[in-house]
Amino acid sequence: MVFVKNWEDFEIAVENMYMANPQNCRYTMKYVHSKGHILLKMTDNVKCVQYKAENMPDLKKIEKITSNLVGHMASKE
Amino acid sequence: MVLLDNSNFILRLEKIANAAKKDSSFTVTFKRYDGNNKPVPRAGRPPLPKPDVYTCLVRAQCKSQKISTVVRQEDVPTMMGMYSQFMKSKMDGLKRVKKVKSKAKATKG
Repeated sequence: MVFVKNWEDFEIAVENMYMANPQNCRYTMKYVHSKGHILLKMTDNVKCVQYKAENMPDLKKIEKITSNLVGHMASKE
Repeated sequence: MVLLDNSNFILRLEKIANAAKKDSSFTVTFKRYDGNNKPVPRAGRPPLPKPDVYTCLVRAQCKSQKISTVVRQEDVPTMMGMYSQFMKSKMDGLKRVKKVKSKAKATKG
């Protein structure tokens, strides 16, 4: 359960983990309004990377990575 | 677990988000889905059929309330459009970062 501090590192880790094992990967986001943060988590049941987003500009990045991932998930390969 | 279509899923998700705003949270999970609802057979048995096109399974949960939807390849752009709209309107509790205006420049000029 490691929280990655840097967004770029998280993005790369997520992509690598998904590419290595697409069938077992799941990507979760948890939103807690009272604390004002989003927790992102990517796991393949062996490893797990997490990121805690607290600032507004992170939302744009999250949007981008999410649509990227969904595009990969619903594809032919 | 209730399986909904894409637009109904977003509508229900908005309701869940409103309900969770006060003192709880909600999660959304994305996973690749190959259309099989059975476990992987043991070694030596015929494997499960592989689909031509994979889909994406989206699940959401708040407390004990659970909903899910399946996104097909051709629906990805519309679904992600709706989802990003949802994120913008409901995930608005994050800290706003103020842009630092360079006052020195303004006074000089």
